[in-house]
Amino acid sequence: MKVALARLAIVAALLAAWEVVARAANPWLYVPPSKVVPALRELLMLGSYPDLPSHVWLTIREIALAYGLAVSAGLAVGFALGLHRTLGRAYGPILAALYAVPAVVWYPSLMLFFGLDAASKIAFGFLLGFFPITLAVLAGIRQVSPHLVTVARAFGARPLRVFRSVMVPAMLFTLVGGLRTGLALSVIGVIVGEVLGSKAGMGSLINHAYGLSRTPDYVALVLVTLALIVGSDVGASLLERRARRWTE
Amino acid sequence: MTAAASEPLIVIEGVTKRYTTGATPVVALRDVSLTVAPGEFCTIIGPSGCGKSTLLGMVGGLVAVDAGRVIVEGAPVTRPDPRRVATVFQDPGLFPWRTTLENVEFGLEVRGASRDVRRRTALELLGPLGLRGFEDRYPRELSGGMRQRVAIGRALAIDTKILLMDEPFGALDEQTRMLMGEWLLEIWRRTKKTVIFVTHSLHEALALSSRVVVMTARPGRIKTVLDLPLPYPRAMESPELVDLRAKLWSEIREESLRAMQGL
Repeated sequence: MKVALARLAIVAALLAAWEVVARAANPWLYVPPSKVVPALRELLMLGSYPDLPSHVWLTIREIALAYGLAVSAGLAVGFALGLHRTLGRAYGPILAALYAVPAVVWYPSLMLFFGLDAASKIAFGFLLGFFPITLAVLAGIRQVSPHLVTVARAFGARPLRVFRSVMVPAMLFTLVGGLRTGLALSVIGVIVGEVLGSKAGMGSLINHAYGLSRTPDYVALVLVTLALIVGSDVGASLLERRARRWTE
Repeated sequence: MTAAASEPLIVIEGVTKRYTTGATPVVALRDVSLTVAPGEFCTIIGPSGCGKSTLLGMVGGLVAVDAGRVIVEGAPVTRPDPRRVATVFQDPGLFPWRTTLENVEFGLEVRGASRDVRRRTALELLGPLGLRGFEDRYPRELSGGMRQRVAIGRALAIDTKILLMDEPFGALDEQTRMLMGEWLLEIWRRTKKTVIFVTHSLHEALALSSRVVVMTARPGRIKTVLDLPLPYPRAMESPELVDLRAKLWSEIREESLRAMQGL
């Protein structure tokens, strides 16, 4: 209770400070809360951007597709490189090197390849989500104790059983962590992609409001996007906790 | 299959094993032959690196032979066969995400036994294992001795004729080790299993075995086989055992020295 009150106090203090500073400086640039709240209400009542739901829905679909692709490709590539010695030694280092490149540099070429529509956003979200998932699989496989695999084999476990009963539980912590990071990055990829250049989606609305200097609308849109991201992360952390309980 | 009691259960014929990890191949075992009769408690003892574990791995189907063959119950061993052989390792190798019961059930699960059968078998074993009350504990919550008993339970649960034990008590303190030895003798006498037991400990070898096989330093070969047709429990201070101990020690000492002085 005390903790909650203390939290509330700091939020209130920050909002008050923001209000005061913004009014004193430049309310048009710094958008005080007193302007954001009506703008947010207007946005949610579908006044300022009547087609908001279709944009939100598009962004969600892009994220779902990008993440779905990142998970399937990440798991497939991760297990292929992790379980196959030669493949892992040949391609593992290349993968790690690519991961070190700031992903944004790929985005212009993705727009050239896939155009301004959803495809380039999905591709970028996929690209960002793919690496942490793949690397988590590789790290997870390295965590599997060879001794436990031997024990399982001694009790007659065939490869598929070893995979299911030893490898997956042994790597689950790492794997779920990677899947969660992958989701966060896929979300970032899609939204950054939309902001950098698109005709629809949350990012395009943000860009639109910003470009027209409709700063209160801009802040309101950012808040909605933030809610979307926090929502997906809360969902992911719930899944993570469940996975933990399952392995415990 | 109704083999006569005298017929060997395990036949090891001229097996050899080479490992090529570094530049020069290492011969771990050279031309080892041994037969084990049903109901024996056969201990293999020898200096570190003499290939004891490799030999056990061959019987368990985990290590391929480079030459020779291993026959268990009349069939050549090519892969692990959990219907015939169960193994207990020095590192208990319990699955950390499984409870005591679930670990004991593992082999039955692989075999495809029903949930009921698995649970019943595991629960019946907990009493003799001294693990009642620890059914739902995870390995990290158990002591070293208890963990090893869970591992032994997992091996007993699949009810094989043969039990391979690779230094099962090697990581335990001496008191626990002696108690575990007594406990294992009880299990062995009650279940009439055939045991091959690898150890470094003279005491363990003399207290438990019906036969002791002494191996040479690398490349591992059989140096001596010592029969111990003595009743249990054994008074380790009896003149007979003190004599045997001296004899066994002189055999092992020579090999351990050779192993120490460099391979």
